[in-house]
Amino acid sequence: MEMPRSLLRKVPLVFGVLGTAATMFPVDSQALPLFARQTGQNCVACHAGGQFPELTPYGRAFKLTGYTIGDRVKVPLSVMAYGSYTKVSDTSKSDNPAGDFAKNSSPVIGGGSVFAGGKITDNIGAFIQWTYDNYAAQDPNNGAWHGHSAMDNVDIRYADRFINPTRDFIFGVSLNNNPSVSDVWNTSAAWMQYVPGAGVPANQFNDAATPYPGNSSGSNVAGIAAYMYLNKLLYAELGTYRTANGIFSPLSMGLNNAGTTKLQGNNNPYWRLAVTHEWGPHNIMVGTSGNIAHLYDDPTITSDPNSVYKILSTGLDAQYQYILDPHTITAQLAYMRQKTNYSANTVAGNAGLGSPFGFVAADGSLLADPNSSDTTNTFRAKLSYVFQAKYGGSLAYFNLTGTTNTANQTSGYDPATGLITSDPTGALGATALSTRVNGNLSGNPATRGFTYEAFWMPVQYARIGVQYTAYSKYNGASDNYDGMGRNASDNNTLFFYVWGAY
Amino acid sequence: MKEIFLTLVVGLAVAGSGCSNIERSRDLANPNVPAAVTAAQVCSNCHGVDGNSVSPNFPRLAAQQSAYIVAQLENFRGQHRADPAGFEYMWGLSHHLTDAQIKGLADYFSRQAAQPNAPVDAKLVAAGKVIYENGLPAKEAPPCIACHGPKAEGLANFPRLANQHQDYLIKQLQVFQRTDERPNTPMTQIAHLLSTEEMKAVTGYLQSLPIDK
Ligand code: HEC
Repeated sequence: MEMPRSLLRKVPLVFGVLGTAATMFPVDSQALPLFARQTGQNCVACHAGGQFPELTPYGRAFKLTGYTIGDRVKVPLSVMAYGSYTKVSDTSKSDNPAGDFAKNSSPVIGGGSVFAGGKITDNIGAFIQWTYDNYAAQDPNNGAWHGHSAMDNVDIRYADRFINPTRDFIFGVSLNNNPSVSDVWNTSAAWMQYVPGAGVPANQFNDAATPYPGNSSGSNVAGIAAYMYLNKLLYAELGTYRTANGIFSPLSMGLNNAGTTKLQGNNNPYWRLAVTHEWGPHNIMVGTSGNIAHLYDDPTITSDPNSVYKILSTGLDAQYQYILDPHTITAQLAYMRQKTNYSANTVAGNAGLGSPFGFVAADGSLLADPNSSDTTNTFRAKLSYVFQAKYGGSLAYFNLTGTTNTANQTSGYDPATGLITSDPTGALGATALSTRVNGNLSGNPATRGFTYEAFWMPVQYARIGVQYTAYSKYNGASDNYDGMGRNASDNNTLFFYVWGAY
Repeated sequence: MKEIFLTLVVGLAVAGSGCSNIERSRDLANPNVPAAVTAAQVCSNCHGVDGNSVSPNFPRLAAQQSAYIVAQLENFRGQHRADPAGFEYMWGLSHHLTDAQIKGLADYFSRQAAQPNAPVDAKLVAAGKVIYENGLPAKEAPPCIACHGPKAEGLANFPRLANQHQDYLIKQLQVFQRTDERPNTPMTQIAHLLSTEEMKAVTGYLQSLPIDK
């Protein structure tokens, strides 16, 4: 037991060295991203219409067989970087536009990732993504931004395949850090949202910030999942997750204790079932997935069982692809229901409280206590088209609905003044301050809208795109959702991005 | 649970120390991997394990002439065949194949039984049959049958065209016609004589040919 432990302790070190090396070695223009180097193939072989990360049937087979097709490459690394420019429709209905919409209308170099992995043996391969966010944190005193890097997606797998003309059986085991990162369809929680953008306030309404189906625990946890794919018809996967600490800490590397998701025990299951079919240039998948996470209210205090809340996510998804050069058409549907049961401590603390922020109803009476559980339903549909793996466009619809909860109500009537006010200067002596821009007056999370996108891939490793996200509902209302006059459509956002990989 | 995790990690570490799995390897740089293994583990992903690919993006290889497959794989390996689909998919995969592996792959797929392909509009098929059997005398285009055989079954370096995907065949004819990406073949001249309509007809006929036992 001693050897693997000490070996694993060196993983962060090795990774750091690799990461530094990758940024120091000049990358010539002939170099190819990692997997392309390994198979010698063009990106379109595995990515539908060249749009990373959506996989083609062949790309799915490549991943399901453990990233082991091809030749082992000598320097198993690749890098990607992105920049963006954002414009939010209305920045005037805010107490502090410079803060609420920081980096609006100014180009930002968002950050990037280093990828490592690929084929390790005939049965083992890996996909490891280490990501740097140039705008990870802001100094509260001088407003300066600080970058931060941390482990992003990790999927290390063992796979084998028994195939002959009458039977095709792939099975494998994945050690990963994010439920569904092991999945090969792009309607899964880990893979549906992919256009990168810096974590700056101006991006709080761009497409990446709109409701996407998620999983219960989020990333930076540790799990193992076993999967099988039979006769290109039936896919099944079952796994369980725990906190990524101890020997699993490399899976949450770069995050401090408070930033690491803390799961209670090892019984946080993930499951996935999908039926697939291919005919001519068409292929379709219809599936279901879900997971349960038991999470600590405060990641730094994991001793109190009464501080554990539980999220159950259950989803349905479907993906259709038509791939026949020069056309690629993809239709995606995803629905995810998430039920959150708050911890015993939270429920007890809420009893008789009314609004946890101290708001009252319009008539001055106490608001209802926060819910002991909440449910949200996220629906997302997307249609995309790519021509010649160069020019593409997509249209996406998102609709989040959910239970109303006074704990969501971040704007409301002040008990002292009977007014809705954010009163940033405290001139009114308010005791309950509503938040502008992000405020939620209704306590309902409902958010709905469309994203229109056009993109261009001048070469296979670069993509330039523009997204326009238009809201018809935000935080439960179309108009005046924050109680201070901000409408859902004020959040409409134009987002340009440039993205390259080597 | 912790034990399971540990066992897995240790297992991965041990396995990572270099054991290979020749009977089910997807390694394309190991000369010891038998051709039948590569065919099933790698080629099958696009061409089908029995050579009857589902997607028209990828040619069917079932019952294809062994000599023709050898020639094409050598062209890919030597980067002499540069049509986009060819280099995007095949250059890398064929890069380290040995002559023996290439021969083995060709034999594997040539031995597979061809399956019928999707039907094509009857009028188009009838027009295509005329072109296939008689060529286009007005333009001095030779009959395809002369080289590709009475049942389009091919012979040695003349490829089998029967039951091949129409879309794939049209794209190849366009490559011959418009580019020099598949050089040094009589097809360059022949394809220049075909209109798009004629290409559609003759390839429609070829896709819909019944299986000849
Ligand atoms: C003089 C002999 C000859 C004649 C006549 C001929 N072909 Fe060919 N054809 C070939 C050869 C040789 C090849 C292989 C080319 C290569 O090696 O790249 C070929 C290849 C093809 C291919 C590509 C097949 C593949 O799998 O990539 C198509 C399609 C084709 N021929 C269609 C036709 C049609 C249609 C006609 C009639 C109009 C025709 N050929 C007439 C010799 C001929």
